[in-house]
Amino acid sequence: MALDQELSPAHSTRSADWVRLDDLHDDPYPVYARLRDEAPVAWVPAANRYLVTRYANVHHVDNDPETFSADETGSLMKRVMGHSLLRKDGASHARERKAAGVPLRPKAVKETWTPLFRRNAERLLVEMRDAGEAELVSQFAAPYAAANLRDIIGLPEVSPEDLTAWSQAMMDGTGNYADDPTVWARSEAATQAVDDALAEALPRLRANPDDSMISAMLHAEDPLSPAEISANVKVTIGGGLNEPRDVLGVAVWALLTHPEQRTRVLTDPRLFSVVFDEAVRWTSPIGMYPRQTTREVELGGAMLPAGARLGVVVGSANRDPRQFEDPDAFDIDRPRKAHLGFGSGAHYCLGAWVAKASVGQVALPMLFDQLPGLRLSGRRPVRAGGWVFRGLLDLPVAWDH
Amino acid sequence: MPKIIYNHADGTHDVVDAPAGTSVMRAAVTGGVAGIVGECGGQAMCATCHVYVRPERLAGLPAVSEDEDEMLDCAAAGRDSERSRLGCQLFAGEAFDEIEVDVPESQS
Repeated sequence: MALDQELSPAHSTRSADWVRLDDLHDDPYPVYARLRDEAPVAWVPAANRYLVTRYANVHHVDNDPETFSADETGSLMKRVMGHSLLRKDGASHARERKAAGVPLRPKAVKETWTPLFRRNAERLLVEMRDAGEAELVSQFAAPYAAANLRDIIGLPEVSPEDLTAWSQAMMDGTGNYADDPTVWARSEAATQAVDDALAEALPRLRANPDDSMISAMLHAEDPLSPAEISANVKVTIGGGLNEPRDVLGVAVWALLTHPEQRTRVLTDPRLFSVVFDEAVRWTSPIGMYPRQTTREVELGGAMLPAGARLGVVVGSANRDPRQFEDPDAFDIDRPRKAHLGFGSGAHYCLGAWVAKASVGQVALPMLFDQLPGLRLSGRRPVRAGGWVFRGLLDLPVAWDH
Repeated sequence: MPKIIYNHADGTHDVVDAPAGTSVMRAAVTGGVAGIVGECGGQAMCATCHVYVRPERLAGLPAVSEDEDEMLDCAAAGRDSERSRLGCQLFAGEAFDEIEVDVPESQS
């Protein structure tokens, strides 16, 4: 069925069977633009979900968790990682969030983690500098995000390479709608490896508290159980690595392709924080997340039954011209307006301050300062991909050395 | 019903009657008051509901908590050591029966 415009909007379930997952992966923005205009809450068979694509509707969903629950039934994330705070609502979500969030607040980020971010960035830059060229995602953004993450979580013995592999294997599992047994085997091996690392870390941190997330969850006023800690560590490894990696790649690419903005930022490095925020809006690293209705409800002109599975498309909301002027442009001068790149409401990104500091205040200024003449190498095309998670897949760069 | 007056930089103001238990942030977001974002939904995590309380309305407000204090240092508009508060931490009927606040020019 094509877009069903014959039924009255308030009672129709508008179907968008023209949406193809391959198109969403390659370049979702033209698809989103059509959905926003024609069917802002549409049943999309290819995604097996209702996609919510306008800013106002996404914001509404985020702020009505009683109707739009994060606790999705049949969630692959729950199957792979256990029941983390990301898939909980209300008091149980708040309790875990409070325990896990202490090390992620601005003061801890500034005093405890930012010096460590500088050391991690410096180490990678020293390794890269003499080569004169690199693939920036795999050689800097990913290992940088992984090194920061393992220290914040409290698994310093784990190598950044292992953490990156586990993150990818678990994320592949959460997206394994094709039920591929090879993918399940890999994600199960990764979750077992995380649990093995936790078995070593928990007694140590129970006896010797430190500044890490695991320690905070163990020693909270209302401490979390080992199963709760395990699920929350797994979801943090999944999410805490992709997002800073992807926004870093996108922000570098944006500056390399917008020379006037780059010149201004290099003249006034305080603008790197604006670059970071605009990159999160422009190409949101988390492009879509699920919600499920707890009752029949009207949203964006569509009538949704109870139990409807939604895809909340932040990647589209942040390009909605009803909210942002000329939304497809990367523009650090655009009037400051709230975007939804970190989500909003109760599930507002717990790692937002870590990302702002590690990417906006440390990695971006250090990269442009220490790799003079940074530019696209032109050896291969720059590639971006993904819609549930979106970032650069290949960012070949060169610099003067 | 408790009353909240939001003064904007352009000289206009909004007045919202807020049921007891509603925060200055929530009343603004649900009442369509511009300039208050409330990104994190009221967890003192985002500093996008920063307001300057009018001096004559400061008496009787609860003390700034450690979390709120930390977040006010991150607000986009400059912090005023006397008047700056997070709107999500001031609740109608508990903190005030009537309050008047100035909305900063920027929250992000």
